[in-house]
Amino acid sequence: HCLHFAATKFYNPRSLVKLSKISSHYPVVDHEFDAVVVGAGGAGLRAAFGLSEAGFNTACVTKLFPTRSHTVAAQGGINAALGNMEEDNWRWHFYDTVKGSDWLGDQDAIHYMTEQAPAAVVELENFGMPFSRTEDGKIYQRAFGGQSLKYGKGGQAHRCCCVADRTGHSLLHTLYGRSLRYDTSYFVEYFALDLLMEEGECRGVIALCMEDGSIHRLRAKNTVIATGGYGRTYFSCTSAHTSTGDGNAMVTRAGLPCQDLEFVQFHPTGIYGAGCLITEGCRGEGGILINSEGERFMERYAPNAKDLASRDVVSRAMTIEIREGRYGVGPEKDHVYLQLHHLPPQQLAARLPGISETAMIFAGVDVTKDPIPVLPTVHYNMGGIPTNYKGQVITYKDGVDKVVQGLYACGEAGCASVHGANRLGANSLLDLVVFGRACALTIAENNTPGEKLAPLMANAGEESVANLDKIRFANGSTRTSEIRLNMQKIMQSHAAVFRTGDVLKEGCVKMDALYETLADIKTFDRGIVWNTDLVETLELQNLMLNAVQTIQAAEARKESRGAHAREDFKERVDEYDYSKPLQGQVKRPYDQHWRKHTLSHVDPKTGKVTLNYRPVIDYSLNAEDCAAIPPAIRSY
Amino acid sequence: MVRHSKLQKQVLSLYRQFLRAGRAKPGFVPRIREEFRANAAIKKTDVMYIEYLCRRAQRQLEQLKDVNTKQLGIFSKTEENS
Repeated sequence: HCLHFAATKFYNPRSLVKLSKISSHYPVVDHEFDAVVVGAGGAGLRAAFGLSEAGFNTACVTKLFPTRSHTVAAQGGINAALGNMEEDNWRWHFYDTVKGSDWLGDQDAIHYMTEQAPAAVVELENFGMPFSRTEDGKIYQRAFGGQSLKYGKGGQAHRCCCVADRTGHSLLHTLYGRSLRYDTSYFVEYFALDLLMEEGECRGVIALCMEDGSIHRLRAKNTVIATGGYGRTYFSCTSAHTSTGDGNAMVTRAGLPCQDLEFVQFHPTGIYGAGCLITEGCRGEGGILINSEGERFMERYAPNAKDLASRDVVSRAMTIEIREGRYGVGPEKDHVYLQLHHLPPQQLAARLPGISETAMIFAGVDVTKDPIPVLPTVHYNMGGIPTNYKGQVITYKDGVDKVVQGLYACGEAGCASVHGANRLGANSLLDLVVFGRACALTIAENNTPGEKLAPLMANAGEESVANLDKIRFANGSTRTSEIRLNMQKIMQSHAAVFRTGDVLKEGCVKMDALYETLADIKTFDRGIVWNTDLVETLELQNLMLNAVQTIQAAEARKESRGAHAREDFKERVDEYDYSKPLQGQVKRPYDQHWRKHTLSHVDPKTGKVTLNYRPVIDYSLNAEDCAAIPPAIRSY
Repeated sequence: MVRHSKLQKQVLSLYRQFLRAGRAKPGFVPRIREEFRANAAIKKTDVMYIEYLCRRAQRQLEQLKDVNTKQLGIFSKTEENS
C-alpha cells in the first residue's frame, strides 16, 4: 500500500481511520505573521528586531536558544574603518575585501557592507557591546589578516574592532539583550523543516516543535533565512554540531539554487586533534607560525603580509610545509606550531584570555611557555543562498537576476556575495549585522505591517510531514551516525585544502553512492516528543544536500581561486590573463573562463546535481563615490 | 468522596483555561480533549511527570492565547490501495 497525506481543515479524531497505538496523525497549528526569521544567531536576531522595530509582527524560529547559536563562538572581531588606531578609509577596506574575495565577490554588496561598517559598529557600541578600549577610551582595533591601508600600498591596517578574543560571544549576547526590548515572538527549539512555496513565492515556513512534537505552519509575507553554515559536512571543523546547513537545504528542496558552495574556508589555526578555533587575532597581536625547524615560514609565502596574509594563502602554506616534511614534532608529525610565548604575558592576558584557556584545555599548552599545535580546519562557507545587496534571494533566468518574492537571506547562510572565493577574517560578524539590518530595511521598504496574507493551500507542507513520518518509522539497515561519519570522511579526504581532479571525481562517485543509502536509513526512537534521533536524521538529510553540491561544484570548477585550490589547475582563469599587460589580449568568452558564480540545483530524490553559472557584479553602487576595482593578480 | 488534590485541581484549572482559550479558534477543542483524556490515565503518584506536563501545558496555553495563532488542522495517514 502507499501512504497518502491529506489535511482536513478541522481536527476531529472520530473521523479518522482506526489508527495503531502509536498514531500517525500530526496536529498542525497555523500561525500568521508579517515576517518570519529562521535562525537566531547574529544575523537572525538583527533581522528579527530590526523588523519588530519597524512595526512588523515578527516571529523568530530557531532550533537553538538564541545565545547558543554558533555566532557565540566567534572570536576575532568585526572590521570597520573607524580610524581609531591610524587614519583609515572605508574605500581601503572595500579594496581589501574585493582582493580577498579573489574578484569573485559582488562589488555592489561589498561597497554596501564596507560603507555601512562604521555605522554598524557604532550602533553595536550604542547597544552596549563592551569593546576593548584604547588608552583614550576609543574602540581598540587590532591588525587582522588581509587588511591594508591605501589600497594595499600603505602597510598593515588596524581595523578589527574586538572584545578581547570573544567578540562573537559579546555580540550575540548584546543583540539578544537588545532584542528583548521588542515584541518578537520567539519559537525556540522549533526545527524548521521546509519553506512553504506557492506560485514561485515564499509564503512561510513549516516547523517541528521539538518539545511536544507538534507541527507548526508559520505563514508570512516575508521569510528571512539566517541559518548559518554547514561545517559539519567535514570530519574536522571548528563548527558546532548544529551547523548543518538547514537553510541551504530548505532552499534546495524548494527548487532554488545555491551559490558558490565549493568555496569552503579552511582556517589556518584550528587546534590539532580537537579542531577548536584559535583566532586569527593571535597573529594580529604578534603571534607567528613556525615549522619544525623553528622558521617563520610565512615570510617565504607572503613576504609583505607574512602571517597576516589572507586565510587561504596561509592554509595552503601550512599544508605545503607539512607535505614537504617541515612539520611540527609529534608522533603523527602532521601539524605546525603557533608561537605566542614571545609576546608579553600582560598583553596575552588582556587581549587573548579566551584562547589561552582554550589552548590549555584542548591542547594542554601554556601559551606563555609553549607553542600551540595547529592545523588548517574547516571554518566557514563562503557560499550559500544567492541574494542581491539588499538581501533578497535571487535566481538566474535567461541571463537576468530575478528576485524570489517573499524570501530573504543573510549571514553565513546567504551569499550576497561579499566574500567571493575567500573571506577575510572579521568580515563575517560585519556581514551578519549589516545584512541582517539590510533584510529588515528592504522588507520595511516594500511592505506595510498588517498586510493581508496570500492564500495558502490547505495541505501546504504535506511533503515535509510525509518525510518526517517516513524517517520517524525508518527501519532500514544503516544508522544515521554511520552515514554521517562516512560523509564526513569522504568530504575530508576528497575535498580538502588542495583538490585534484581524480580525487574529486572519486569523491563525487562515493557521495552519490552514499546518497542512495539515505533511503535505507534506520532510526530507533519512534516517539514524537524530543526525538533527537529524528532531528539528527533531518539534519543529516540537510548536510547531504550541501555536501553533494559542494563536491560536484568543486569537481566542475577547473581553476584555482581563493579557497578552492586545484593541484591540476593551479592558475586562476579569468576573462583576461591579468599577470600580463591587457593590451593586445583577446577577451575569453564567458563559457571559457571561471570568473563567475556557480549556481547548483539538486533533485532531492536522486541526489543529482545540476550546475550553471552567473556573472560576477563588477560595478559598485556609486562609481564616483567608490570606484570598482578591476581584477589583478592577488599576492600578499 | 475523595477530594481532588492540589495537583489535580491545577490540571482541571488548566483544562478549563485551555477550553476557554481554544473556543474561538477552529480545531483546537477536540485536540485539547484528546490530549487531556489520553493523559488522564497517568497514575496520580507520578508527580514529576505530571508537573512536567503542567509546565509544558502553560507554555502551550500561552501560545494558544497569542493573537497570531489561528487554527489547528491535521495531517493524517490514510491507506490507499495502489
